[in-house]
Amino acid sequence: MHIRKLNTTTGNTENNTCNCQPGDTDKIISLVEEVVALEGRGKDRVIPILQGVQKRLSYLPSEALRHICRISDITPGQISEVSTFYSQFHHLPTGKHIIKICSGTACHVKGSQLISDSFRRVLNFGEGRNSSPDNLFSVEEVACLGCCTLAPVVQIDDKTYGHVKPTLTENILRDFLSSGQEIIQPDDKMDLADPDAEIRIGLGSCCIAGGSRNILSRLMEVTESFDLRIKIKPVGCVGVCNQTPLLEIVAGNGEHARYTNVTQDQVEEIVLRHIVPGSLAKRIRYRINDLADTFLSDYLLKSPVNIPGEEREKYLNNFTRKQVRLATMHCGILSPDSIDEYMMLGGFDALKKTIQSGDPQQITDIIIKSGLRGRGGAGFPAGEKWRIAANEPGQPKYVVCNGDEGDPGAFMDRMLLESFPCRIIEGMLIAAYATGASKGIFYIRAEYPLAVERIRNALKYCHEKGFLGKNILGSDFSFSAEIFEGAGAFVCGEETALITSLEGRRGTPHLRPPFPVVRGYMKRPTLVNNVETLAVVPWIINNGAEAFRRTGTGKSRGTKVFALAGKTARGGLIEVPMGITIREIIGDIGEGVADGRKFKAVQIGGPSGGCIPASMADTPVDYEELNRMGAMMGSGGLVVLDDTDCMVDVAKYFLSFTHRQSCGKCTFCRVGTKQMLDIITRLSEGQADIKEIDELEKLSFYVKNGSLCGLGKTAPNPVITGLKYFREEYEAHASGVCPAKKCRGLISYVITDKCTGCTKCFQECPVNAIGFRPYEKHEINQELCTKCDNCRIVCPENAVEIIGTND
Amino acid sequence: MIKIRINNIEMEAAAGETILSLARRAGISIPTLCHMDGVEHYTSCMVCMVRDNATNSYLPSCTALVSEGMDIDTSGEELVSIRKKAVELLLSEHRAECEAPCRVVCPAGYNIPLMNRLLASGEYDKASELVMSELDSRELRCLSCRGYCENACRRKKIDRQLSIRNIRIFIYQNLNLQEKQDQSAGVQEQPAELQDQSAGVQEQPAELQDQSAGLQEQPAELQDQSAGLPGNTGLKRTFSSRTGRIGEDELKEWLKECKGAEKRFENITDFHSAGEEAKNCMHCDCRASEDCRLRDLAQELGIRDRGRKVINAPLTKKINHRTGLIFEHAKCIKCGLCVRVCKDKKEEPGLCFINRGFESLISEPLTAEFDDILTTQADLCISVCPTGALSYFTGHNKTR
Repeated sequence: MHIRKLNTTTGNTENNTCNCQPGDTDKIISLVEEVVALEGRGKDRVIPILQGVQKRLSYLPSEALRHICRISDITPGQISEVSTFYSQFHHLPTGKHIIKICSGTACHVKGSQLISDSFRRVLNFGEGRNSSPDNLFSVEEVACLGCCTLAPVVQIDDKTYGHVKPTLTENILRDFLSSGQEIIQPDDKMDLADPDAEIRIGLGSCCIAGGSRNILSRLMEVTESFDLRIKIKPVGCVGVCNQTPLLEIVAGNGEHARYTNVTQDQVEEIVLRHIVPGSLAKRIRYRINDLADTFLSDYLLKSPVNIPGEEREKYLNNFTRKQVRLATMHCGILSPDSIDEYMMLGGFDALKKTIQSGDPQQITDIIIKSGLRGRGGAGFPAGEKWRIAANEPGQPKYVVCNGDEGDPGAFMDRMLLESFPCRIIEGMLIAAYATGASKGIFYIRAEYPLAVERIRNALKYCHEKGFLGKNILGSDFSFSAEIFEGAGAFVCGEETALITSLEGRRGTPHLRPPFPVVRGYMKRPTLVNNVETLAVVPWIINNGAEAFRRTGTGKSRGTKVFALAGKTARGGLIEVPMGITIREIIGDIGEGVADGRKFKAVQIGGPSGGCIPASMADTPVDYEELNRMGAMMGSGGLVVLDDTDCMVDVAKYFLSFTHRQSCGKCTFCRVGTKQMLDIITRLSEGQADIKEIDELEKLSFYVKNGSLCGLGKTAPNPVITGLKYFREEYEAHASGVCPAKKCRGLISYVITDKCTGCTKCFQECPVNAIGFRPYEKHEINQELCTKCDNCRIVCPENAVEIIGTND
Repeated sequence: MIKIRINNIEMEAAAGETILSLARRAGISIPTLCHMDGVEHYTSCMVCMVRDNATNSYLPSCTALVSEGMDIDTSGEELVSIRKKAVELLLSEHRAECEAPCRVVCPAGYNIPLMNRLLASGEYDKASELVMSELDSRELRCLSCRGYCENACRRKKIDRQLSIRNIRIFIYQNLNLQEKQDQSAGVQEQPAELQDQSAGVQEQPAELQDQSAGLQEQPAELQDQSAGLPGNTGLKRTFSSRTGRIGEDELKEWLKECKGAEKRFENITDFHSAGEEAKNCMHCDCRASEDCRLRDLAQELGIRDRGRKVINAPLTKKINHRTGLIFEHAKCIKCGLCVRVCKDKKEEPGLCFINRGFESLISEPLTAEFDDILTTQADLCISVCPTGALSYFTGHNKTR
């Protein structure tokens, strides 16, 4: 069998023979038929079909594409356009396991490029290859895995590793290969009627990456071996993502304790501290062990159970003090997979109220009065949008929940979908009732498998409880909803592109008007709202517009969820009132900058936003103020930068992101961003002339004004704000100096006199640039050095320094 | 009715009308590249940009609909600079030479590549007509010329330059011979179409300097000479796009069009040998040089292509051997007109977009070979291409 390789640089196709066995073609054909039978044969089903085939085959052989065309309404042109547009689809066989290296903002500033290089090196990828020689692993750089507080993050298949270092790659691979793939879930046995205590453990994606599944399995072991009567309850994201795994114990006597950064071997101790084992024999065994431990080691003195609760929880309290929880209400308490619990805590009251009112107009008026604005970035008044949709004649109308959060450095949509699926469904139902829509679509990135699973479960529960389907709560309101998995294109976060993608086409935006709310999915009125917007709707209906208006300032009302990450001491998912200052967020909630470095700037709004310098940290965070500063609310990524971060490097990072994610339609975005990236790349290598900075500025103007959609119009923002606040840094690069010592082309690694000759750097250097000289000062061969940073990480004496090449 | 101002003219428009159509009604011309009446909007090239002074925003007029209170300006300075930048950006990925080097250096500006194509496809009469129509005061300038064309010929880098001069001289002498015979037979009529052409060719003397400056690999000495030579009458357009540096593999790509050419003839004695030799021409010119909308627009906006291409689109040629359709990727501006006008059917796949963003390109579908696409719609897709990216062997906008 032949597969055709698409060579993107030459536009040529070559024939490659793959190692497939005869008979594979039959297998492919029967598999394609299975998928098409499952997904349907309409033109709009192309993305789910391709996803289904790739899931089973790990790539899309051209025989599969051909057969899809044969047995469905999909045409050859359409399938080629779609399968090459979305980054999720592969046309070449990949390694058995895919190592996804997150290249989100937080991971980038913490050195994800070095991690990627390290994996390629350790796995012996040759030049131009993207899989290891044994075809076991492939490396793929992905937009953002949304675990920014654990940066840098790597995902191998479905297993996530946080805080990765270039020197740890071999350990990670070893761990991955030796560990099983089974997923532990608490079973029904744990669902006791009257437990002695309840143990809450966060199972958001960040927590899982932090190791909370291991903690969970240990917890279950302990429960079993001591025969404890406890209820283990998985909860959604707690927001304190940097402190994961997090364990919360609510004992029967009302005693309440929280433990952060729990390790597997601490579980038993923590649990037994609060809960007394059932049987006498076990109680005795525990006591004896405990006594023995006390004599044999001093470990117990340092263990977290001996730290007073007040001290232990001080940070958690600081973290939550300035926050106001509307969208994330009951965070850390609510179990995401339990609709009963959601209802017990007041869930679906807002929906009942809405339907009982019997007046969709009244509901829209409440949202208009509340001043709620779209949380997706641009901040269009949500109520206005609802009103337009409601006034459009004809049926059916659609509501789309936009969960295609692709901003590097942002993960609030993921966290909301994972932790509060029922609340978002309720918000969608209210929006549907107010606008007269009968069908809903959850558009969620395929990179968020847990979010997809939780929404899928929640939809099922809602059906069972009668919140979805025909005649909801006995009224004449009928509504159904389904999930559509985005296939990896950042531009699909733009509402018009999202709709073309739903229709089974390339996700290219088009000019508005017509607005989707007038003419959208299948040419019908379609209300597209962001996840967070829908998440606060039930709160507003329950508490009234006035209550919502009391939080926030000016034209920005209510709260905003931010993903706080980067060089802050404490990162996480936070919900703060609009109008809070940047200083309060970073200083009070984030406890300042990590490792005692100096706070330099904060990047708000991801690739569409900008960097606000430390000197302007008293800027209140609201739509107008941020726009005035040249940044943007965006979807709410907040990445803190310290004095080791180079502003040219940050701008280059974002430009290369938007450039890669551009759909390629408009001239300015397709070619203009490329020219800008070229200039800034040469600048970061010290190759650009100072005059080219002006050229960069001019191009920014053209790209901003000449692009069609939000992506292109905001793509130059990181450069524009960079030039506005940090122009001297750009100018320094033009003369070959990187003040932050970050740009690889302008720095070199040297070993200072502090070197004791311990040879650790020699052992870690992957390219033999350091010679073996025990008890002598080592030296780095600059010709060979690849600036992988390994030596600096391992040096116990901090004797490895980075110096500017042209200082 | 919607009230709207355009270049300070008060107009009325129906809801749903585009600004472009309104402007045309008002007699204002706005350039377009990716737009075609009756075809679904794509809004990609952005050269039709206008400014709405009421909202201080820039709008692509081909798609933007009129709305109440708009105050449209179609010719402001900043606006023109945006348009100009759009064309410059398109040119920065447009690796093509409007004219072949042989023609650029020819003191008479003879259309050598076209002559070669006609000869190579056996249309000897048409080739003769062309040569005759280009005659300046009935004298062939090749007779007294040192053959700059052959010196500039790219074929030289592969093996040996084409014997352009000898071919022309042969045709000329053959013509004279025929003419004498014709005169004796009393036939003197020249086809009307041919007269028009020759009149058009002499209309406007070209700035040869600008043209030859476009050729990097040409020896400087030659450039000066050709610049100094008076009376290049063939080239009437001042703008020429450039390819930048040409890689060795890319030269080989051009050999794809030297179909069935094994024999080389230095001495041309008959049409057979002329045709065989002409088959070795690599056609490094552009077949749309006379009707390229990108070139027209670049000239109108006074742009010069300095040859620094930001995007090194590979110079590839794809040839459909069933219909003769040729696709040259590096000339494509990704306007998608060919994709939109042609129906993509299972039995007859069309062209489609492949990849995303900066890597996107027009291609045959992944499931088909280039030979199998557009079996009945090739004429249509060539006719809508604003540049020379799609053509037949003998030319752009011409049926085979």
